[in-house]
Amino acid sequence: MAGLELQNIAKSYGTVSVIEGINLSVADGEFVALVGPSGCGKSTILRMVAGLEDITGGDIAIGDKIVNDLTPRERNIAMVFQTYALYPHMSVFKNMAFNLELSGKPRAEINARVNQAARMLELESLLERKPSQLSGGQRQRVAMGRAIVRDPAVFLFDEPLSNLDAKLRVQMRSEIKALHKKVGVTSIYVTHDQVEAMTLADRVVVLNHGVIQQQGSPMELYRRPANLFVAGFIGSPAMNFFEATVEDNTARTATGLAFPFTLATSVTAGQRVIVGIRPEHFQTGSGSYKGDVTFVEPTGGQTFVTLDLGGHPTVVLVSGEHDINSGETLTVGVPTERTYVFDTATGQRISQH
Amino acid sequence: MSQTSSVADAAPAVTRSPSIARAKRSQIRGKLPVLVLFLPPALLLFTVFVILPMGEAAWYSFYNWNGYGLPDQWIGTRNYELIFNNGAFRQALINNGLIILISILVQIPLALWLATMVTHRIKGAVAFRLLFFLPYVLADVAAGMIWRFVYDGQFGLVAGIFNSFGMDAPFWLADRQVAFYAVLGVIVWKYFGFHMMLFVAGLQAIDKNVLEAADIDGATGWQKFFRVTLPLLGSTVRLSVFFAVVGSLQLFDMIMPLTGGGPSNATQTMVTFLYTFGVMRMQVGFGSAVGVVLFIICVTLAFSYKRVFMKND
Repeated sequence: MAGLELQNIAKSYGTVSVIEGINLSVADGEFVALVGPSGCGKSTILRMVAGLEDITGGDIAIGDKIVNDLTPRERNIAMVFQTYALYPHMSVFKNMAFNLELSGKPRAEINARVNQAARMLELESLLERKPSQLSGGQRQRVAMGRAIVRDPAVFLFDEPLSNLDAKLRVQMRSEIKALHKKVGVTSIYVTHDQVEAMTLADRVVVLNHGVIQQQGSPMELYRRPANLFVAGFIGSPAMNFFEATVEDNTARTATGLAFPFTLATSVTAGQRVIVGIRPEHFQTGSGSYKGDVTFVEPTGGQTFVTLDLGGHPTVVLVSGEHDINSGETLTVGVPTERTYVFDTATGQRISQH
Repeated sequence: MSQTSSVADAAPAVTRSPSIARAKRSQIRGKLPVLVLFLPPALLLFTVFVILPMGEAAWYSFYNWNGYGLPDQWIGTRNYELIFNNGAFRQALINNGLIILISILVQIPLALWLATMVTHRIKGAVAFRLLFFLPYVLADVAAGMIWRFVYDGQFGLVAGIFNSFGMDAPFWLADRQVAFYAVLGVIVWKYFGFHMMLFVAGLQAIDKNVLEAADIDGATGWQKFFRVTLPLLGSTVRLSVFFAVVGSLQLFDMIMPLTGGGPSNATQTMVTFLYTFGVMRMQVGFGSAVGVVLFIICVTLAFSYKRVFMKND
């Protein structure tokens, strides 16, 4: 086991730069999720750590050792691929034992370690099967088993759950979390699903266009998004945004909505800003905003209501069992400390919270 | 509860079998017009142009017949005895075996090696792929002609090379000991591109992630090739060997312009033997017998190979 350090790493294909100066340090045993929209460079970073992709700048260190020029074989990492990448011609046992066989471990040790991993992942009855005879979830488990038998320095996960159906994804998510608790290996987990990232990771790194937007604990990102991108990306359903201009401690939209907030930096009066409010932060019943309900999505314990707030379609999350119908008028309010304000020009947050 | 359910189950079971039979009958009745309409033309063509000639050849093989008039001199299995006592035929059999052996031991490994090279993303890989495939595109007869000139001891490329070192050029195609090896060289040259293309297709079908997984699992280049790539190419290799075997048994039109089976039958294959001894010498009965033997060898080899090696492909 070891920590991982990315220092100013960069990747460019010819003149096209896809990753620029990523700095990231992962502590020993930490579970870090890289999250971002597709094409943001998260998989490329993972592949660079694995050694499957060359880096064109900076340094990668595993433990205390710079591994820039080492082959994947020499880096002692394990990786779970999105497509699982199991060896189709080998049995589950052989798939899991391949690394140990290549490194010349004695037969008894190989058997013991594969069996132990199989027990941990409930694969014992499937050891003689070929990957083609397994279901998606079982294949996923074999891929994980192949990674854990070898006791690597770092675990890399490349969107391992995106080929599974929704129910299995939730189940595997908790299994991965439990597994990490048990083995405690430094892990990097790439996903485009922010829910996956939030639920699994100790620390979430949000990427866009090859640049780290913000990193921190899941709740930190949720509570204090550094910029507009993170605010829009983290949280489901997504944050509501209103274009406005600033006047003292209030942001006013062109249609007359006024959002009071706490300023963190100085602003010039009339500066263009974007107000962000999460659907779950609206309080219903009392408040200063009134709107007609245009759309209702009940999910049982909570209901997503789309309101027309002065011309802005706004999603409001109403908890508890309520019967709300389209056409009704709903009064909502927002606490000041739940009102996020971002500078339109730079995208940075300028409100205190 | 269990009683009623068993009664309920039993009732339809009694009526089920006739209803199934009826369904089958109506299925056949539904297909009948299709059968009547489409089967006879195909069956007729197949019978007239495939089954009958084969049966005829088998029939002629029991006669001493020069192809004129009707075959009337019945000689039983004499033609077959002649074949197996014929040194040239034995040589042809050995040669066919050698072609298969060289295909498997030289041509296919070479093709596989080149295929792994040209599937790398290096500059000019596509150009090389094309270049290696060119000999296969060439007509067999043309290839034979070209190589006859190449091997020519007086004017050919080989002569040029030897002369440039100040040596006298050999006449390989005229040398009984060497001629067949020269022919084997041409065969490898002519067909490796075809096998290479099969392997290129096979290699491209392998999931790149699987090879990357092997990298991460710590496999060296050789280990990756022998333990992951090659097993995953298994069906392609088996197909390639199958084509090599069948191709060897059919080899004819490249040999004829190159050596014509000579010198003194050293480069005969079974088909050139058939042509030389059956057709050229007007011994249609004997030729037919060779054809029958060739047919039996082909069918046996092809079917048993498919049975044994390609049963899962």
